Amino acid sequence: RRRAGGAAALRSAGAPAAPLGAARGARHGGGAWGRGRRRRRGESAQELQAFRDYGESWYRSRKGLESRFQPREPLARQPQVTAEARCKLVSWLIPVHRHFGLSLEALCLAVNILDRFLATTPVAADCFQLLGVTALLIACKQVEVHPPSVKELLALCCDVFTRQQLRNLECIVLHRLDFDLAAPTVSFFLEHFSQVRLEARGADAGEAADARSLAAGVAELSLADYAFTKYAPSLLAASSLGLADRLLRHRSPLDLRISGYPEGLLRDCMDQLQLLVCLNGRSLSLLLPSEVAQKCPWLGDDR
Amino acid sequence: MKKFKRRLSLTLRGSQTIDESLSELAEQMTIEENSSKDNEPIVKNGRPPTSHSMHSFLHQYTGSFKKPPLRRPHSVIGGSLGSFMAMPRNGSRLDIVHENLKMGSDGESDQASGTSSDEVQSPTGVCLRNRIHRRISMEDLNKRLSLPADIRIPDGYLEKLQINSPPFDQPMSRRSRRASLSEIGFGKMETYIKLEKLGEGTYATVYKGRSKLTENLVALKEIRLEHEEGAPCTAIREVSLLKDLKHANIVTLHDIVHTDKSLTLVFEYLDKDLKQYMDDCGNIMSMHNVKLFLYQILRGLAYCHRRKVLHRDLKPQNLLINEKGELKLADFGLARAKSVPTKTYSNEVVTLWYRPPDVLLGSSEYSTQIDMWGVGCIFFEMASGRPLFPGSTVEDELHLIFRLLGTPCQETWPGISSSDEFRNYNFPKYKPQPLINHAPRLDTEGIELIAKFLQYESKKRISAEEAMKHAYFRSLGTRIHTLPESVSIFSLKEIQLQKDPGFRNSTYPETGHGKNRRQSMLF
Repeated sequence: RRRAGGAAALRSAGAPAAPLGAARGARHGGGAWGRGRRRRRGESAQELQAFRDYGESWYRSRKGLESRFQPREPLARQPQVTAEARCKLVSWLIPVHRHFGLSLEALCLAVNILDRFLATTPVAADCFQLLGVTALLIACKQVEVHPPSVKELLALCCDVFTRQQLRNLECIVLHRLDFDLAAPTVSFFLEHFSQVRLEARGADAGEAADARSLAAGVAELSLADYAFTKYAPSLLAASSLGLADRLLRHRSPLDLRISGYPEGLLRDCMDQLQLLVCLNGRSLSLLLPSEVAQKCPWLGDDR
Repeated sequence: MKKFKRRLSLTLRGSQTIDESLSELAEQMTIEENSSKDNEPIVKNGRPPTSHSMHSFLHQYTGSFKKPPLRRPHSVIGGSLGSFMAMPRNGSRLDIVHENLKMGSDGESDQASGTSSDEVQSPTGVCLRNRIHRRISMEDLNKRLSLPADIRIPDGYLEKLQINSPPFDQPMSRRSRRASLSEIGFGKMETYIKLEKLGEGTYATVYKGRSKLTENLVALKEIRLEHEEGAPCTAIREVSLLKDLKHANIVTLHDIVHTDKSLTLVFEYLDKDLKQYMDDCGNIMSMHNVKLFLYQILRGLAYCHRRKVLHRDLKPQNLLINEKGELKLADFGLARAKSVPTKTYSNEVVTLWYRPPDVLLGSSEYSTQIDMWGVGCIFFEMASGRPLFPGSTVEDELHLIFRLLGTPCQETWPGISSSDEFRNYNFPKYKPQPLINHAPRLDTEGIELIAKFLQYESKKRISAEEAMKHAYFRSLGTRIHTLPESVSIFSLKEIQLQKDPGFRNSTYPETGHGKNRRQSMLF
């Protein structure tokens, strides 16, 4: 099924029925211990403890790295690659990363690698997809337990590239970026702000979880739109959460002041995101866990 | 939709007509190749795209497009967006035009060998004044390029810099910084002399070496990039993480040398690892030194954990020690991945001795606490002279743990009873034994601290940060807690290494035994 190549595989990956990580779990058998609900609770206790120990310094260190890893007008000097092409590529990488059961973190890193490479090196249009899977591969090698194999990635490109091409490009990307790969991501900041929210007194855990899911979907969508490359990940994360709270009409929304951004900036980013959501309601509904999608009837009914 | 179109046209730039014919596309690409005047490398495929298949996801983006005005005559892509989705099948080689694939920093230095012309051209009078009146000193240069203090700069470099360089009180662009470093000799293999081989693994070989820049010894870790799956994960993780970790208790990555088929990491050289150190003192360490080593482990680890970098493979072989007694964490290859593999690429078994029980039982999600169990094991090993839980299989490892600390039950480890793996092993019900019986040389505080590392529930394990403040370290004084990150604890006069009681001068040369140890550097 996984080797089915290009289009077919993608369509099944995009299907809403396949939850994040399902493919992974099936493929690797998954550790028996702590499956299901109880495990989730145990893990979050552990995460919460680590967050209490180090959350603030994690945030400070990532925040400090943000500007260094912010791509600067990645397409300004590209003779062939356009924002439209980038959108298409990332829109393709989204179902691809889901198909492999990869984390949002990996996807964010891949897009960051893609953008920063584009800022350094002109890329021919017909290599662009190869660049996309190469960026994804590098990102996965950093943060995933089982990165997809080169063979699988090539199959998704209908085997139009060779293994050697991908490996060459990987070397070039690593060299160009000088191995600066550990970029702070929207995914990290979503996690951070959500944890802060849970730690606050009178926190509504249900609302926090829903907002986090919806915001993750919105942020994922925003990766595909070139207009959002100008926003820092922490701003995108805060705005996505703010928008999610607003859309879900939460009674105790996240206090966006913790992000440290002025209100105007947050509002601007939220407006942009809202427009994005309006235009891509159906796509967004496919990105959300069903229980959250059900709470978003405005996303379009033809799910 | 109108709104959206407007947005997109703002977003998009320089795309061309939708129905560009393929032959045109090919032609333009040749033009592109011949006329790229700025001498920039361009990554392109040898042949033009042949088919159009695409997997649109955000439909709205793909369907309706306003055609934005043509900005560049050479931009090729347009509506034939499918082109990047399907490429020529045979014989197309990925060509890097103008790219010198011999990956030195030379590509960079070529472009910028006029040293950062961009800044020089900046039309400010201030720069000029500065340049005339101020001579560039070694100190300026060190500050600017963050060079080691003992570096020797090639003759004539400063003079050259004098002529064409931006004023020294201004920051330098990343690119010109790299170019400058390259001129000094960084990023080049010629800068390092290979001495003897220290060890070899499947994907890397480690050599002892010497830097011509500083005359210092270095460890050269040569990583082969030619693999089925491309660059090894471990290399990618290790380099990208170590680049951002600068701390007195973390091994310093001095330089990275890219060559065609390999990548060489240049590390500072440390004589031995903790395993060798313990061997050399007949496994009887001074208890004072145990404390100093443990503190340094925690100090390096706390620094990593504050940056959300986990080590995940702490063991004595990964803790390097120099003759001053400075201890540094090394081998970050496994860091950051979400699980600890049991086998390396070459199918060699990774030691289980320092692995926490939750991980042994298959828990895959974890955080900073995962490293703290191993710290406890290493602490015990230093204090008692033998490994705490030297299990050979997962079951054996768990068995050893439970025999000493007691078989867990729902009361001592909430949630354990619902672990299938745990139930399946069906361990005998052991009672916990007092740790002091096994490490009699440890004082009460030490025993108390070790127990805090060896907690079954990971969230209950003491953090590195907290552990440094534990009463066990009180005898080290208070100044040790306020040292800057890059400063060694031995810079304080009250902190001194003691002679280890069992120490014998191990002058006999590296035996096969010693060599095996060193291999741990590789994975």
